[in-house]
Formats: sequence, C-alpha cells, structure tokens
Amino acid sequence: MNSTLLSETLIRRLNTAQLVLAGILIMSPTAWMVLSSFKPSFEVTAYPPTLVFSPTLENYVELMQTTPFFSYAVNSLVVTLGSAGLGLLFGIPAAFAVSWTRISWPAVLALAARMAPGTLFLLPWYVMFRQVGMIGSYTALILSHAVITLPIVIWVLLPSFDNIPRSIFEAAQVDGCSITRVLWKIALPLVGSGIAVAAILSFVFSWNYFLFALVLSNGDSKTLIAAAFNFVGEGSTQWGALMAAATLIALPPLVLAAIVQRWLVSGLTLGAVKG
Amino acid sequence: MTYAAYAVTPDRQRAELATLSAPAVLFTLAMIAFPVVYTVWLGFHTFSSTGRQSFSGVGNYSRLVADHEFWHGLWVTLALYVLSLALQLVLGIWLALLLFHAKRLPGIVRSLFISPFMMPPVVAGLMWLVILDPSIGAANYLLTRVGLPPSDWLASPLWVIPTIAMIDTWQWAPYVALIVLGGLQSLPPSVYEAAQIDGASPLTTFRRITLPLLLPTIVTATILRSVDLLRFFDIIYITTQGGPGNASNTLNIYGFRVGFEFFNIGYASALMLTLTAIVFGVVLAFNRLRGAVAW
Amino acid sequence: MSKNALATRVAVTAVALGAITTAASAADFDWKKFQGKTVTFLANNNPVSAALLTYKADFEKLTGITLKVDGYQEQQMRQRLVTVMNAHSDEVDVFMSLPSREGEQFAAAGWYGDLSAMSKSEAAADYDLAGLSRALLKAATFNGKLTSMPMNIEGPILYYRTDILKKCGVEPPKTIKEVEAAAEKIKACDSAITPFVSRGLKPAVAYTFSNMLHNIGGSYMADGKSNLCSPKGKEALDTYSRLLRDYGPPGVVNYSFQQISALYRTGRAAMSFESSNELRTMMEGGERLKDTGLAPFPAGEAGQVPTAIGWGMAVSAFSKQPDAAWYFVQWATSPDIQKRMAVQGIAPPRPAVANDPEYRKWIDEQPVRQQWQAALDVLASRGSSEVGYPIAANPESRDFIGQAVQDLILKQKTLDQACADADKGLDALIAQK
Repeated sequence: MNSTLLSETLIRRLNTAQLVLAGILIMSPTAWMVLSSFKPSFEVTAYPPTLVFSPTLENYVELMQTTPFFSYAVNSLVVTLGSAGLGLLFGIPAAFAVSWTRISWPAVLALAARMAPGTLFLLPWYVMFRQVGMIGSYTALILSHAVITLPIVIWVLLPSFDNIPRSIFEAAQVDGCSITRVLWKIALPLVGSGIAVAAILSFVFSWNYFLFALVLSNGDSKTLIAAAFNFVGEGSTQWGALMAAATLIALPPLVLAAIVQRWLVSGLTLGAVKG
Repeated sequence: MTYAAYAVTPDRQRAELATLSAPAVLFTLAMIAFPVVYTVWLGFHTFSSTGRQSFSGVGNYSRLVADHEFWHGLWVTLALYVLSLALQLVLGIWLALLLFHAKRLPGIVRSLFISPFMMPPVVAGLMWLVILDPSIGAANYLLTRVGLPPSDWLASPLWVIPTIAMIDTWQWAPYVALIVLGGLQSLPPSVYEAAQIDGASPLTTFRRITLPLLLPTIVTATILRSVDLLRFFDIIYITTQGGPGNASNTLNIYGFRVGFEFFNIGYASALMLTLTAIVFGVVLAFNRLRGAVAW
Repeated sequence: MSKNALATRVAVTAVALGAITTAASAADFDWKKFQGKTVTFLANNNPVSAALLTYKADFEKLTGITLKVDGYQEQQMRQRLVTVMNAHSDEVDVFMSLPSREGEQFAAAGWYGDLSAMSKSEAAADYDLAGLSRALLKAATFNGKLTSMPMNIEGPILYYRTDILKKCGVEPPKTIKEVEAAAEKIKACDSAITPFVSRGLKPAVAYTFSNMLHNIGGSYMADGKSNLCSPKGKEALDTYSRLLRDYGPPGVVNYSFQQISALYRTGRAAMSFESSNELRTMMEGGERLKDTGLAPFPAGEAGQVPTAIGWGMAVSAFSKQPDAAWYFVQWATSPDIQKRMAVQGIAPPRPAVANDPEYRKWIDEQPVRQQWQAALDVLASRGSSEVGYPIAANPESRDFIGQAVQDLILKQKTLDQACADADKGLDALIAQK
C-alpha cells in the first residue's frame, strides 16, 4: 500500500517535471515574440539579446495608426467563421457517412485540395472567381478557405465516429430513427471532444492562411494575416510592429482554444456514455 | 464481420448516406476540378522566357525525369518529411499524455501549451530566423553562455534539414498533441480502471491499452501532418529560400520558384502535379493502414 | 505719372503677365481630367513606396482620382502580380517593377503598358522627362518601348566603421584589394568583430557580386556564352567568396539585407557592402550615425563600374484606364514629389533634384548623408544596371551565380568546378529563347 502511494507521488512529480520542461521548450519562443512586441524595433535584433528593457507600446500604437487593424480583423473573423462553419456543416455529415459505410473515398477526395501545393490554385481560382465577379468578396475567400477546413473536420471526426459502438445506432434504428436523425440526436452529442478539436483547428488554419487572400481579396477585404506582411520588406522590416501584429493575431485562436478546451476536458465525452 | 451486415443496406439507407456526404463531395469537386484540369493543361505546354506558349506534350515531364534538381528536391522533401513526422508524432503523443493527466491545469495555460501552431507560419519563420542567426541570435548566445559550442543552424548544409525539422516540430507537435488529446478524451475510462485493478504499470497500460485504442486518431494526425509536411513551404521560404546551396530545396519550394520567380509556368505545373501525385500516394497508403486499424 | 508709379505699373503688369502665362500652361494641363476615377496601385513595401505614399492625399486632392493602394512584401507582390497579369486582369492599374530583374521578361510577356508616347504628350509642363536619369530610362526601355518611370536610384556601397578602422590602424579602403587587407588587419586586431559582411543568400548574391565583377573588369557574357570561368570571372568569384568565408560572419550563406543591417546596426561588423537604400535601416537606433563612413563600391582593376538600379513605376498593359494611371505615375515621378521623397532619404533618379538647395540642406545636416550623396553621385554618373545576366531569364541566372559563390564559401567545390557548373547551367539559360 505504502509503496504504491510512494510511487504515485513520484509519478506525479515526474509528470510535473515533464510538464515544466515541455512548457519551457514550447513557450519560450512565444514569450520571445511577445517580449519583442514591447521593444523598439532595432532592439529586437540586438545582440546580446536584451531581457531587461524599458517596455514601450509604440509598436502597438504604430500598428493601429498605419493599418486599419480592426477592419482587417473583422474581415478575418468573417472569413474564418464562415469557412470554419461551412467546413463543419459539410464535414460532420460526410465524416459520419464515411464512418458508417466505411467507403473512404469521399474523405480522401476532400483532402485532395490539401495534397496540391496552394500555389497551384492561385491562377485558376483567380480566373474562376473573376468570371463570376467575386474577387474581393467574402464569399470567394470563405469558399477557398473551406477547402482547407473541410478535410480537417472530416479527418478529425472520423476516429471519433468510429469509436461509437454500432449497437447504439442499431438500437436507434430499430426504434425507427433515420440515419440523419441518428447523426444529430445520438452520434453528434457523443463526439463533443472531436468537434471541439475540429473547430479549433478549422479556426486556426483559416485564420492564419495567407496565400489565397493574396489573390482573391483586394485592398478592402484584406485579412489580418495579409496585413501583417505590411511590416516586412526591404529596408523596412519593422520587427517591433511585426511582433505586435503577430501577438494580436495569435490572441483570438488562443482565447478560442481556452474556451473550447474546457469543453474538451470536462464536456460531453464518449467515455461518460460508454462507461 | 459487421461489415457484411451493412453491405446489404437498403436502398433508402444508401441514398440517405449518399446525401450526407454529397455536399462535401460536390463542394470539393467544384473547387478543385477546374484548377486540376487547368494545371494538367499547363503542364503539357512550355512557356519560353519571352512568354510565348506552345504545346510540348510530355516535354516537361521528360525534363523533370532528367532534372537533377528535381531528384534532389524529392530527396530533401522525403528526408524532411520522415524526420519531422517522427519527431512530431513522438513528442505530440508525449505532450498529449502530459496534458491529459494534468487535469487541473487552467484552460488558458493548456492553450499556451498548444499555442505554437496558432502563430502565423510567416511570423514563426521570421522569429526563428532571428533567434537562430549564428552571429546575432539568442540561441547561440545561450549555447555559448552555458559553455556549449555555437552552431551554424540554418546556414550549415548538414544541419539545415534537422534545424528546419526542429522548428517545424516546435510548431506542429502541439497540433498532433491536440488531435491525440481529443482521442484520449473519447476513450472509455473503464479500460483504465480495469488495468489499474490488474496492477499494470503506467507504461504497460499505455502500450497495451491506450496506444492500440488511440491508433485511429494517430493515423488521422499522421495523414493531416503528411499532406502539409510533404508540401513543406513557409518556414523554408522565409528562412533559407532552399539554401544554403540547394540543401533545403524541397519540391514545393523548387516548383514555386520555377513558376513565380523564374516564370516558367509550364514546368512548374509539371513539378506541382508530380508532387501532388506523391502526396496522394502517401495518403492512400495511410488510408489503407487506417482501414486496418480502425475498422 | 511719376517715374516710380510707372515702374510699379510695369512691374505689376509683368507680374500679371507672368501669372497669366503660368495659369495658361497650368490650364493646358488639366490635372482634374480624370476626376472621380479610381486607380489601383500594387506596391512593394519598401522605403521608396513608403515615402511616396505619405503624399497620397495630395495626389487625390490635386487630381480628384481615388488612389487604392495594395501593398505587399516583394515576393508576395510579385506573386500577386504574376497571377493578375497571367489572367489579363484589369484589377491592377499601376505596379512597381525592377527593370533590372524582370524587365525583359515582363516586357516580352506584354505586361507593361507603353509609356513612350504618354511621357511626352500627356505630361505636365514641369514634368521634365529629360531630367530623369538617362541610364535608368534606358534600362527600362525594351524594343523601343519605355516600360516604367524611375522612382529612385540605388546601388551597393561600402559602409564602414570609422572607429574600428582607426583603432586597427586601417585607412578607409578605396579598392577591393584594400578591403581584403583591411579585413585581415581587423581580424587580427579585434577578434570580437566581424571584419566584413555582404550578401550570401543564393538569390541575393548577384546584387553585390555584379558590382565586384564589373569593377574587377569581368563580364557575365562574352560571344553569347557565359563567361564566369574567364580569369576575371574566376577572380571575382574567388575574391567575393573568400572575403565572406574568411572574414564574414558564420551563417553568411543565409545573409540578405535583413541580417546584414541587423549585424551592422548592433555594431558587430566593421565593413559591409550593402544597398544605399538601406541607410535608414543601418542607422536605426542612432548608434551608428557617429561612427559610420560611406564610400562608393571600392574599385577593381577596371576602376569603378557601379551598379545603379532603381524601382520603376509601370502601367499595366491590361489597365482599362491607362491615361488615368499615367497621371498617377507622372505625379509620383515628378520633380516636386521626388524632391519631397529625397528629404526622406530616397535617392532621387533626377540629377537636378540632387542639386536642389533644399535637398542639399538636408544632406548637409549629417556627415553620413554627405558621404551617402557622394557615393550616389558616382552611381548616378557611372552606373550600369546589370545585375545578373542581361537575358530574359535574369532571375534564374542569379541563382547560378549565388550557387557558385555559396559552393565556394562552403568549400563544396573547387573554383574551377564551381564556375564550370555555373557556366553550364547559364549557357543553357542563354540558349533558351
């Protein structure tokens, strides 16, 4: 009895030690980024690197003055929510159908757009969306970003659906439920953690994706991430402003992850039902 | 075995299932059909440096077979892929297990643990470029302060691939961790309880019970990482542009430069389609594996 | 009527007459002709466009044209441009372009609108076309078509630390040989400092290397063949890579302007070849203002054949309103605007502006600026715009040059091997037509 207790404390301590180690490795570059955003531009690349410095908000001020940061943020939010929503809307039923039938080609097909280099789509999509006069519209960006979010949703949800015992569905079917009803009423509540992960990932990927916005947006529908490039350039890389932009850009996904994770940890997980 | 039972699904049920996947399938087709056809067409043409375009049949593809840079790029792509994937899976699963057991960690701290992949890749690349600069970077500063020899990092033809793999692992192992964490959450607690009663050590529990149950999720993470890793672009483009020399010139970097910097759209299309075919092959292989472990 | 009154009347009449003539010539040129139109400008984020766009509101007020600016980093800007142009889209009216790099290729692809006629007939009286750098105009002319108007002039120059040179007993180098001798002395006298730095990143090497090749007396091509294995070509390759290998910072093969300016700015490099355009970045933070000297690119056996290039402003061939677009181009490259940009540190592509009293006053404010302008004068008067091979595949040719230099820095090939491999690839590029 005593020995198990001892080893349990030991294990717990080991876990904590590992967690601290992982935390340092993961977070120190991020911390570097955040710290840099409070330094004057030329000090970001100073050597030796300065840890003690007088923090300044000038980068954030400059960011707000030189770019319509909030209107770009609105653009990003619309495009990201739209494409993540579209991905979930199309992806959830598709993942369920693939898991049910075990015919996997729709999942592979949906991933096809992720198999080709993004640059392959630039010119054709530009031509396509121009034909229908959608360059610069949110719709064009949402559709193009949904090509990224859709396969993520499908593939993240596949193992979750696979994990649900068939007996549950069969019982429901015996009760006269249609497959669609089985999906919405029974399966969906059981894959909460999968949906949480799919939502975070869709959001992040769409939020940070730059290439399609480069040609499909125009000055007005520019996304935040495209605007971050305004601080990179010959003779004018403004490290401070860039790091400030990056810090602000990383905030929404971080907050979303924090919110959704609570759901992921304690929420409607399959285990609760299965147990 | 249960498969047989579902092979005889009634027509109505089959139609219903088709309807469920139809939006995803039709949407994908609508978005990729034209680009793929267009690129295939471009791949059969040559564009001279003066912009004139002519049909050249498989000319671009025979050029590709004879192109030393292509084969080198393929090798770089695969080396980087295998190294990064292995690191990210191992460290990602490790991180997922740590976070899974640290249940009392507040949400925002857990978010910080998986934060690297939320950083825009461009910014991550620029940041590491500064940190790893052999002369003015913080990395060598720290190394020399603790008495270790400095490294050339991204500037050494030998170390550039491991260094890029390291950067990418920093950014994407947390992503693997998040996917695996989702999988861990959905495992029934009962299996752990059974194992605990049996007095199995944590390691045995993991190897015998958790890992097999987790395999489908791990395969998903592998597939999602594979499609991105094989098209490795952002970090390299920002840090080395394929250098030093051509030591980090992946196929995607090479294709991009041929198309958008050297303006040879025809050959670039052939390169990109070949890369797509390679990625497709890898995905199909893992998809079969998925079928074996999941169903 | 008194004498005085008469004089006054004459003077008044003269003034009035003068006023009428200026009014007349201003009326001849109607800046408001395209009032209400919107012109889209695809810009590269660099100091040149940044300085120009501080006057955006003035342009809109003067012409009544709305200017829509779409700014990106150089590579992204080019990516967007290539896509838009390949689709023959009219979405971009005006774009920035580097004639020395992509000029021949874009011109052959038919992407540039022809500015030859408009720059003469549709220009305001004070535009002074002839006042623009003749070398830069020539560099932007392909098959008799003027494809872009010069926005600035720039080229690689030598930045050096006066304090370190003094401490080590070295005179500011005038020749390439002296640069090497100085680097050797600095290395021996202060081991903490990087004696010399220049561009080592593969696609970036050609910018500084071309100047060295030309100063040494070499040429990229001879008799329609690549000429890197000629004695002069080999000497240039050898010297450039030796300087970086023996006296450059570790990791120099990834170095472009970003790292170079960071290294220099933090006081860790003693000498550097870098673009005149980087002055502001090199001086950022103010630490280097007091101990920096600037000089034209050091001479070789052939003397000084400086590289002088500039960003140009082009009208898209697919623009639906080339005339309104031209109004923006001529405003942006007019003497008045270029003078105003000059005092923001953008070297004017007009010799007359360089001699303007107001600009001179700005120059005289700091010794560094005086030296900077002196180096630019050499550039402007004797510059050649050849960066990389004078062929349509110029961007690709730069890769071969960069590869050869990197092979030598990293000691992966012998000099003969490196130049031979480069020549082989380059001959194939030249043969492509």
